[in-house]
Amino acid sequence: MNTKWKLFLIATLAFPAQQVLSQDWMVPSDHTALTNPSEYNLENIKKGKELYTRNCQSCHGDPGKNNPLALLPLPVDIASERMHANSEGDLFYKITTGRGVMPPFESTISENERWKLINFIMNFKPGGNQLLVDAPPVKVKLLASVNENKSTVEILAEREDAESTGLENAPVIISAKKTFGNIELGRAITNENGRAEFTIPENVIGDEEGYVSIVVSMGDGYDAHEVALEKAKVGKNKVVPRLIKGEVLWSTNNNIQLWLLLSYISAAGGAWLVIGYAIYQIIKIKKLSKSS
Amino acid sequence: MENKNRRNFMKTLLASIGAAGVAGSSSILSSCDRIEAVDGDKITLLTSSGELVEVDKSQLKPAELPSLSQNQKQGREGLPGKSWVMVIDLSKCRNARECMKACQNHHQLRPEQHHINVLQMQDAEHTAPYFMPKPCQHCDNPPCTKVCPVNATFKREDGIVLIDNERCIGCRFCIAACPYSARVFNWFEPRDAEKYEGVTYNIEANVPQKKGTISKCLFSADLLRDGKLPSCVSACPNGVYWFGDRNEDAVTNGTTKETLSFSKLLSEGAAYTLMKDLGTEPRVYYLPAKDRAFPFTGEQV
Repeated sequence: MNTKWKLFLIATLAFPAQQVLSQDWMVPSDHTALTNPSEYNLENIKKGKELYTRNCQSCHGDPGKNNPLALLPLPVDIASERMHANSEGDLFYKITTGRGVMPPFESTISENERWKLINFIMNFKPGGNQLLVDAPPVKVKLLASVNENKSTVEILAEREDAESTGLENAPVIISAKKTFGNIELGRAITNENGRAEFTIPENVIGDEEGYVSIVVSMGDGYDAHEVALEKAKVGKNKVVPRLIKGEVLWSTNNNIQLWLLLSYISAAGGAWLVIGYAIYQIIKIKKLSKSS
Repeated sequence: MENKNRRNFMKTLLASIGAAGVAGSSSILSSCDRIEAVDGDKITLLTSSGELVEVDKSQLKPAELPSLSQNQKQGREGLPGKSWVMVIDLSKCRNARECMKACQNHHQLRPEQHHINVLQMQDAEHTAPYFMPKPCQHCDNPPCTKVCPVNATFKREDGIVLIDNERCIGCRFCIAACPYSARVFNWFEPRDAEKYEGVTYNIEANVPQKKGTISKCLFSADLLRDGKLPSCVSACPNGVYWFGDRNEDAVTNGTTKETLSFSKLLSEGAAYTLMKDLGTEPRVYYLPAKDRAFPFTGEQV
C-alpha cells in the first residue's frame, strides 16, 4: 500500500472518531440563549482568573499556550477559536454538567462564580476587548533578615535593573519550612522604598529549641529567587511527647510489667519448691522405713 | 586465581554502584585500600547528584552496605522528634487507584495483596456511596502489636507500626487482632521473588517480602528517612492525601505540595477517625466526602 492510501485511510478513520469524541457535546437550546448576568469588568475577570487557576488550569493549561493535560478528549485551550465557538450559555451548561473526564462543577463552584469564570474565558475571545493583560514578570532581587528580638522579618525588594530601585506595593509571601514543604505564615506589602516588615505570629512551631527556618518568596507576576533564611529562634518549642509507654504486657522482655515478672517468678519458683519439698519428704520416708 | 578474584570484585562493584545513592560517591572516590585494577583504566559512574564522573578503576572500592542488624536497629528506633500523620480527603477520591499501584510496586506486593486499598463505601441505605482509601491506621494504641508472641511487630517512637519479617513466625495473631484488616499474609512466593534474591532485608520497606510472613503498610518509612513522602501520597493524581508531622502541626498535600496547618485542616474539614469507639487512636484521619469534585462511578449498592 502506498503512503497516499495510508494517509487517506487514517484521515477517513480518524476524522469521524475525533468528531464523535470532541464535537458531539450538545447543549439544550434554552441554555445556549442564556446571557451572562455577571458584568464584564476587570474585577469579575480577576475573580474568574482565581477560580480558573484553582479548578481548571491543571487540565486546560495556561490560556493561549495550548498546553493542556494529555487526556481524551483533549481539554480545549480557553483562548482558542474552538472554545469561543461556544456561547456564554453553552459554556455555563458545560461547566455545570461536565462530561467524561471533565467533572461537573455544579456543587463545587457557585452559580455566580461560574459566570465570573466565563467572564475570564471571554477575556481571551479572539478579537475581543481584553481587559486583563498579564504584564511580563518583574525581575526582583529579594533580600530578607530575621530580627530575633522583635520577632519580625525585614524585607527589601529591589527591581533587578541598573538603578536597583525599590519595588513599591508588591506582595511578599513569608513561609516557614516544614518537613515536606513550606507553610505560609502571611503576606506583607512593600512600601515606597521597597521595604516591608512582617511580624511572625506567636503560635509558629519551630524545632525542639524553637528555631524556625523562614523562607521569603514572591507570588505570580514576579520573577524572584526564593530566600531561605538561617534558622532563627522565633517560634514555640516543638513538643515531642513520649509515645511508647514503658511497660507492655507481652512481646518483649525489655519492657515487661514488673508485677507480671515478679508474680511469674514467684509462682514458678513456688512450684519448684513444692516439688522439691515433696521429693525430700519421699526420701525421708524411705530412710525412716529402712532404719525401722 | 587472579581471574576469579577479579570476578568477585566486579560482583561487589556492581552491588556498590547500586548502593551509591546511600553511600554517596565520595566514599568511592576518597579511599583506596583495595587496588585490583591496572592504573589508567577508567570507568564512568553516575553520582547521587546526577553527574557523570570518570574514575580510575584502581580508586574503586566496594561501598559498605548496611547490615541486617543495623537495618533492624534503626528501623526499631524511628525518626527522632517526628510523629507522622495522614489525612485522607474523601471528597477528592475518584478511585484512580494510583496509590495502590505505587504501593504494590514499592513493597513488592502481589496484585491481590494491599497495604492500601480503595474501598467502595455506603454507610446506610439512603446515604451516598463514596470511595475510601484505607491504609494501616498506625494506631497509638495498637491491638496488633500486643498479641505478637515474638515481638516481630512493634510501634515506633515516631508513630509507625512496623513488622520485622526476620522475626515473624507467621502465626497471624496480628491479623486476627487488627480491627481494620490492614495486614496481609504472604501465602505464596512474593511478586518478583527472583529479582530480590540476595538483597539485604530493609525493615522500613519490608522488602524483600518472605513467604509465610506478615506484611503491612508502613507509611514508606524508608522514604520518610530520606525526607520524601510515602509512595501512595506522592502517586495520587487527585490531591487526596495530606501527610506530615503532628508535632510541628503541618501536613503537605502529595499532589499539589501545598502545606497547611494539620489542626486547622482537621477542625475546618470536620475530620474523623475510623472506629473511634475501639480506643485504638488511629493516626489516619478522614475528611468527609462532602462537595465532591467527581461523581461516584462505582456500582450502586
